[in-house]
Amino acid sequence: MNATLFLQNFLNGLSIGSIYAIFALGYTLVFSILGIINFAHGAIFTLGAYFTYVLMGGAFGFNGLLANLALPFRLPFAIAIILGSTIAGIISVIVERFAFRPLRRKKADSLLTVVSSLGVAVMIVNLIQYLVGAEIYTFPPDTYGNLPPAINFGTEANPIPIRSVQVVIFLVSGVILSILTYLINVTKYGKAMRAVAEDQTTASLLGINADRFIVLTFFVSGFLGGLAGTLVGSSVSIAGPYFGIGFGLKGLAVIVLGGLGSIPGAVVGGLVIGLIEAFVPGDYSAYKDAVAFGILFLMLLIRPQGLLGRSLIQKV
Amino acid sequence: MIQKLLMKFNFAHPSTVWLALTVFLSACGPSNNSTSGAIPIGIAVAQTSNVALLGQEQVAGVKIAETYFNAKGGVNGTPIRLVFQDTAGDEAGAINAFQNLLTKGKVVGIVGPTLSQQAFGADPIADRAKVPVLAPSNTAKGIPQIGDFVARVSAPVAVVAPNSVRAALKINPQIKRVAVFYAQNDAFSKSETEIFQQTVKDQKLELVTVQKFQTTDNDFQTQATAGINAKPDLMIISGLSADGGNLVRQLRELGYKGLIIGGNGLNTSNIFSVCKALCNGILIAQAYSPEHPGAINQEFRSAYQAQYKKEPPQFSAQAFTAVQVYVEALRTIDAQTKVAQKALPDLRVALNQTLLKGQYDTPIGAISFTPEGEIVQKDFYVAQIKMDADGVNGKFTFLK
Amino acid sequence: MNDFFATYGFLMVSMVLGAVLGLSLYLPLMAGQLSLASPGFYALGGYIAAILSTQVFQVEGNYPLSLLLLEMIAAGLVCGLLGVGVGVPALRLRGIYLAIATIAFVEVLRVLALNLEITGGAVGIFGIPQPFQSAIEYLWIALPLLFASMAFVYRLEKIRVGRALIAIREDELAADSMGINPTYYKVLAFTLGAILAGVVGAISAHFINTWNARQGTFDASIIYLTFVLIGGSRTFAGAVLGGMIFTALPEILRAVADVPSLPLWLSQFFRDGRLIIFGFLIVMGTIFFPQGLVTPGLLKKLRRGG
Repeated sequence: MNATLFLQNFLNGLSIGSIYAIFALGYTLVFSILGIINFAHGAIFTLGAYFTYVLMGGAFGFNGLLANLALPFRLPFAIAIILGSTIAGIISVIVERFAFRPLRRKKADSLLTVVSSLGVAVMIVNLIQYLVGAEIYTFPPDTYGNLPPAINFGTEANPIPIRSVQVVIFLVSGVILSILTYLINVTKYGKAMRAVAEDQTTASLLGINADRFIVLTFFVSGFLGGLAGTLVGSSVSIAGPYFGIGFGLKGLAVIVLGGLGSIPGAVVGGLVIGLIEAFVPGDYSAYKDAVAFGILFLMLLIRPQGLLGRSLIQKV
Repeated sequence: MIQKLLMKFNFAHPSTVWLALTVFLSACGPSNNSTSGAIPIGIAVAQTSNVALLGQEQVAGVKIAETYFNAKGGVNGTPIRLVFQDTAGDEAGAINAFQNLLTKGKVVGIVGPTLSQQAFGADPIADRAKVPVLAPSNTAKGIPQIGDFVARVSAPVAVVAPNSVRAALKINPQIKRVAVFYAQNDAFSKSETEIFQQTVKDQKLELVTVQKFQTTDNDFQTQATAGINAKPDLMIISGLSADGGNLVRQLRELGYKGLIIGGNGLNTSNIFSVCKALCNGILIAQAYSPEHPGAINQEFRSAYQAQYKKEPPQFSAQAFTAVQVYVEALRTIDAQTKVAQKALPDLRVALNQTLLKGQYDTPIGAISFTPEGEIVQKDFYVAQIKMDADGVNGKFTFLK
Repeated sequence: MNDFFATYGFLMVSMVLGAVLGLSLYLPLMAGQLSLASPGFYALGGYIAAILSTQVFQVEGNYPLSLLLLEMIAAGLVCGLLGVGVGVPALRLRGIYLAIATIAFVEVLRVLALNLEITGGAVGIFGIPQPFQSAIEYLWIALPLLFASMAFVYRLEKIRVGRALIAIREDELAADSMGINPTYYKVLAFTLGAILAGVVGAISAHFINTWNARQGTFDASIIYLTFVLIGGSRTFAGAVLGGMIFTALPEILRAVADVPSLPLWLSQFFRDGRLIIFGFLIVMGTIFFPQGLVTPGLLKKLRRGG
């Protein structure tokens, strides 16, 4: 592999990996607090992309209940993505309230919560299809203003083009990750959130209202999911209601690799998986998914706590 | 105690009710919302699941056919009635939909299913029940061979694909190096790419790289980079609209300037909304052209445009054609013996025999069938996508 | 009535096969192990049957039952061996970790099936010969399989092995200290589940006429899990009932949509939105029946009452 191709794959991998990281953070936050995998996260990712699309004035196709509907205004992308992700966060909170909290109250087996989240995912995906059909929706070409389609990181003679969208995504992801790290490590809320994650009973003894922080976590998780969905959607397109499901599975590989419940782990895991995928040669790209899941499988056998996870405490 | 027991039993309530309902329903036979006397034709396509993008185009096509033919008097005065059963995206769903149509729907024939894989699962059921099936979109090898009662109006890829390579060579005779991309988890794209690769060899061109992807992928930079680095002057893509469109977009954004050929899966206006202005110039071999001059196509096209505000895609045209074949074959039968007087099993057998013998002037051109049920289609097209400057609307312009 | 069997014959057999698949997930759960590997073994069993019947045994006319039985045995054997091979390393994991590892296993198998020549790639294998004339006749194979596996699990729960499994589920460390080798029993339960799933796959390949990489995916894992957890994971009757109900549910909703007196929008919703209802019922099931529909307590009461 020559240096050009190496650099190109490396930059691509970073960009894809940073989206995996944002998405996986949403997963891992919920895991760290409730000890469950929220399979509805992939569906929230999809929803976020649809919301932003609508807020940017995008119209729906002729299938589904909301055929041909469009908002009478168009928000700029920067505002639409924040609003869209916020709505995704709110949906995530609603999901928590109606599908997860009743189970928590009953102290039900956490596996049941997993099943419940799967039920929610099935509902959301099919609701989208029922409302707006299975069409592909694409963000307007000027979503990112007048950026050129690709930025050349090489020379004129030896070009290393990277799609501008990918560069933007990488930068946005970097900003979001820094903000989040700050929020979690420095602010009072972040510390409380970590305390709840550590141990709910102790946290409540310390006067922290666990429910409030669980709601907050779900909001942040949904927000990140929606944000990742929008970014991917703007880079490629919203390929129908099942858009986020593959991401949901890939996200599993990411958080296990990094360490379930570990916040830096999700970031490292995302970047690693992104880079590995970028370096799978095109001829073998069919095996790309198998590589990610093969690594996941091996990782679990060799080091189940993941790259950055704490060693597993046996909860009996 | 007994009360407690009863309360415990309540859990079964919903399911018991449903089971009872099911039994009740099947006892009443076909659903009563039928227009009495109308001839039922079954439509079993994917209205839900991730195949629904194709399925909903087919639904649009057959609905236009129903209105169109009933406005023209249906089958010599008797209207037709479409009975829809969703197959979803899997084989079991297709089989269940077929079973429902065969027994409860009492249909004379079935249009469907959407995917070739589903056809391999469900068609044998109809064949054993001696009910004709017309496949509107199954292009894989071996579909008509499933049985005597299975035919298709969707031309197999082997016939369609090579045309576009010839067209590309006509546009640019300098082409030497070809890169091929295909969606490997899609049965259709996989068989199509084999044809493309064979055509490339037959034309004495050099196949510089073969890149695989998945229809569920959306990032193709690895493939695109590898493809561009092989320095091809023609790229051939077999995939579906979402993934194919994204691949085109990413190839162009990364600076590929040469010609691109899209397979039949890209043959839909859905692709416009994916690659927008970058779709410009893609060559696509087609089994259907909205600009086909035939009268019935023009009527179909304007009906479609009136309702959906865009050009009809191939999947809709083929689905329309399937209904048309049934209607015309039923007319032929009706001219000899009144359809209403025929017993259903006889009618189904007669319909199958008659439809295989007929000649049809359809939106996809003049067609007929081989005795095995393979379509014989005269007109194939190579179209080039021309996008408007704003990148929102575009059209297929047909090359001579 | 004939119409009823013709329409719902396929569904009835699917329900019976669904019940057996529920049992295949239930077996490792007896030892408290959540494995989602069943769809992988199911797919593998189907491929074995599909390849054997289309490429190895080439029979003209009706496919003999004896060959189908042979395929089922072959599928069971191969899946059993693979089950041991995967189970020994994977069952050191617990809870959600094991679940994720088995999801990864299923995905890797799926990608392999999609890429290998012998599995027919994306098109898969088609034209699988038929031992029966109609779908409903598959009950001749499916029902005995269900009864045999129910009897087997029932028996298993009564003997030492079963008690060992339950002891592991209740408290693995305690079981270990009582001289029960947890790894041995966990792998045993996992392997039995794998064998069952493989055998069902072998039947299904004939039953649905074709086999491809879309069989046995992550989606299927979810559905099987729903079978068991909502049916009831503490007694095998729950897994069986759950398998039947949830296989039938989408079809029941389809039938409800055809009820003539329903308003148009409602029947439209039942038809196109039936998977929304399916998802909703899964959520409701977990909330209102956290123990599952069938619990050991319920069974005990029924026995006393009846």
